[in-house]
Amino acid sequence: MIAKCRALFVLLAWLLPTEPGFAADAPSQIMTPMPGRPVARDFALPDMDKKIHHLNDARGKVALVNFWATWCPPCRRELPSMQRAWVQLRGDGFAMYAINLGEDEETIFPFILTTGVELTFPILLDRQAEVIKGWPVIAIPTTFLLDRDGRIVYRAVGGREWDDPQLLRQFRELMDNK
Amino acid sequence: MALALAFTSAASAVETSYIKDPETGIESWEWREDGVSLRLGQITPGLARGFYLARGFDANSADLFAVNCAFMAILRNESAPGKLRFNLADWRVVTSKWARPMKLDNDWQKIWQRRGVPQAARTAFHWAQLPTEHVYEPGDWNMGMLSMGLKPGERFDLHFRWQVNEHKQSGVLTNVRCAVDDR
Repeated sequence: MIAKCRALFVLLAWLLPTEPGFAADAPSQIMTPMPGRPVARDFALPDMDKKIHHLNDARGKVALVNFWATWCPPCRRELPSMQRAWVQLRGDGFAMYAINLGEDEETIFPFILTTGVELTFPILLDRQAEVIKGWPVIAIPTTFLLDRDGRIVYRAVGGREWDDPQLLRQFRELMDNK
Repeated sequence: MALALAFTSAASAVETSYIKDPETGIESWEWREDGVSLRLGQITPGLARGFYLARGFDANSADLFAVNCAFMAILRNESAPGKLRFNLADWRVVTSKWARPMKLDNDWQKIWQRRGVPQAARTAFHWAQLPTEHVYEPGDWNMGMLSMGLKPGERFDLHFRWQVNEHKQSGVLTNVRCAVDDR
């Protein structure tokens, strides 16, 4: 069964839009403005070490909140770029959370090892998929950028290269907007 | 090297492509026009079965989905001149005998509830499907499973439609084939 699941991941990765043979435009690396800038719903979720993180503790910082799962190919693909963005922005009025949907540490930890990247931003566990219901998420991955007041300013549906200069500029502009 | 064929209709600027992977035999079809693309890739019954067994489905329920002609769909608003709105209930699976909607998340959820599939597994199923309705801004895209409600190996045309801003757009992927049963 594990082999079959691995085969499915390979298939899904194969289908992603960089496959030669299909026309492949460079994907747009942008987030789009969120109408009405709603205040994000607070959460209290454990990380992999069972430490609880509250979103409201990030008030005063710009925060990137990403919803993902290990079986979701674009989610898997974008995590390393999230780490690269995190390395450039952390400690500079910036917070980042990757909220896993419905999986446990025993599933997530081996996957993280396969990324070949040490992910140092908090990976939070929404085990019952309850927190996601309070957010405007219809599909994963979906990622939100919050301003210092906890309002959702930008949204991205689908994977991105999070250390793309265009996106980093978007983050920094919001961070500079005091 | 995958077998790749591409067709372009100059009149409509629609591009369609077909790829067959020589190692896996997996076939994929793609349609592109005006900054929007739709790609369908076969999911074999064996792969679908394994995926849902790993998500907490019992074998019979996983098999039920697996033999209903599953595809992985990737829908992208690459550079359309505005928001792309879609509702999968408007799409049609067309064979030589009939035209009918796909089997959507809601249809499956009723079946899973009746069969006593655990809530966690049903939740995973929901998030693994291409959402029934969504709005993609330029740059947005996503992938998820679709179920055509056909038997392994059957052929069909997929008629799809969406709106970009207020303009209706539609297209067809022709002669698409469900994966053969590899369980």
